Amino acid sequence: MPEPDPRIVDSGVLDELAASVGGDTGFVAELIGTYLDDAPVHLADIAAAGQSGDAAALVRPAHTLKSSSATVGAMQLSGRARSLEMAGRSGEIGGQQTAGDLEAIGQDFAAAEAELRAWLEDHAG
Amino acid sequence: MSAGIALVVDDSRVNRLVLAKQLETLGLDVLEAENGLDALERLRAHPTEIDVVLLDVLMPELDGYETLAAMKQDDVIRHIPVIVVSAVEELASVVRCIELGATDYLTKPIEPRILRARINASLGAKRLHDLEQEYLARQTELNATIQRQKSELSRFLSPQISALISSAEGEALLSGHRRQITAVFCDLRGFTTFAEQAEPEELFGVLGAYHRLIGEAIIEHEGTLEHFAGDGVMTFFNDPVQQPDHVERAVRMALAVRDRFQPLSVEWGKRGYDLGLGVGIAVGYATLGRIGFEGRYDYGAIGNVVIMASRLSSSAATNQILLTQRAYAMVEGLVEVEEVGELTLKGMTRPVPAHNVLALTAV
Repeated sequence: MPEPDPRIVDSGVLDELAASVGGDTGFVAELIGTYLDDAPVHLADIAAAGQSGDAAALVRPAHTLKSSSATVGAMQLSGRARSLEMAGRSGEIGGQQTAGDLEAIGQDFAAAEAELRAWLEDHAG
Repeated sequence: MSAGIALVVDDSRVNRLVLAKQLETLGLDVLEAENGLDALERLRAHPTEIDVVLLDVLMPELDGYETLAAMKQDDVIRHIPVIVVSAVEELASVVRCIELGATDYLTKPIEPRILRARINASLGAKRLHDLEQEYLARQTELNATIQRQKSELSRFLSPQISALISSAEGEALLSGHRRQITAVFCDLRGFTTFAEQAEPEELFGVLGAYHRLIGEAIIEHEGTLEHFAGDGVMTFFNDPVQQPDHVERAVRMALAVRDRFQPLSVEWGKRGYDLGLGVGIAVGYATLGRIGFEGRYDYGAIGNVVIMASRLSSSAATNQILLTQRAYAMVEGLVEVEEVGELTLKGMTRPVPAHNVLALTAV
């Protein structure tokens, strides 16, 4: 098993989250499950907006993914989503930076998912 | 007990779950909405139950700005505190939300102690608002009750007395004063016998018709009803409202009562009841004011003038309106009278000269 990388998933965020709901790690596990179910939908919306070059359509899924990823500590993914949200807001998504973000965000999610699933295993039962 | 009900509005399921769980940890009950339209629907369905709204800005259907604007235009839900939840980098949108009427804001990730502080402040504001509303509602209810009681009360009191109750000089008058009045006492000949024989319904029917007749005449002539006691009705003039023509008013009222009594008397005669009207009128000084005890006060007149009117009424034959010498002197040109001589009245040391009013002088 690879060593957890805090840039991918900051487990401190998950600890704080658990503390903020009275130490209920079961809730955090449930939340991660929900996140993992919902994130692919936002990723698909982001990809679709990128392909069609629709800057406005990029804003909301990127915004939502930014926010929910930050909630579960997936900071790298959240940062990528934030960058895409900003691009969408600027109306300019034809640039290299955006092309790179659109390209990389799937891998960011895959990496975050792997770490989150590892966290779930660690905290199972 | 729940600390309150919060509505969490966010299109992200993850964010809703986190915020809802954190609020539940603080002891609140939580409702959720996934966009502004959904939120407005819930707010309108529970306008009094929802204590605070936690509102995301960027949402499909109806975003945070539009939701706030719609809330502020709706009188039923505009008072519900709204806390805007946003990312740190979105402070510009928070400012816009505050301008639109949001109460406060929170940045993500949400720090539980800040959440608690913000929620408590909003719940406090909401409680204050609710208390104020409750107070206003009670005040309105109280005012309605007072109005109702006043109008109910005025049915028991003569109009002059009920006006007095709510006037500024009323208190001074109620506490007792001396004034010249004209006292009018009406009662029925044959009433005691009738009361012994009649059925209760019949008795109350007759009394009711008689009181109604006298009551109307009192109001028309602006007399002050002092009391009813069975068939005895005591009225006076010139107090609490001063009336320069108080004797004349008294005589006119007595004549009106006598005229209107005739058909009733005929009607009752057919049913076998022999009832006749007797009236006594006297003028003199009396002490007037609040008489009685806490819980039951009357506005009353005390003095020889009252006793005199009552005794004259008792001595009057059917259809007689007896005036004292002094009362007669004050309306001499206005009425035609017949002398009835000097009457010996109960409790009076000297015989009293009296005049029976026949009619008003034809002009």
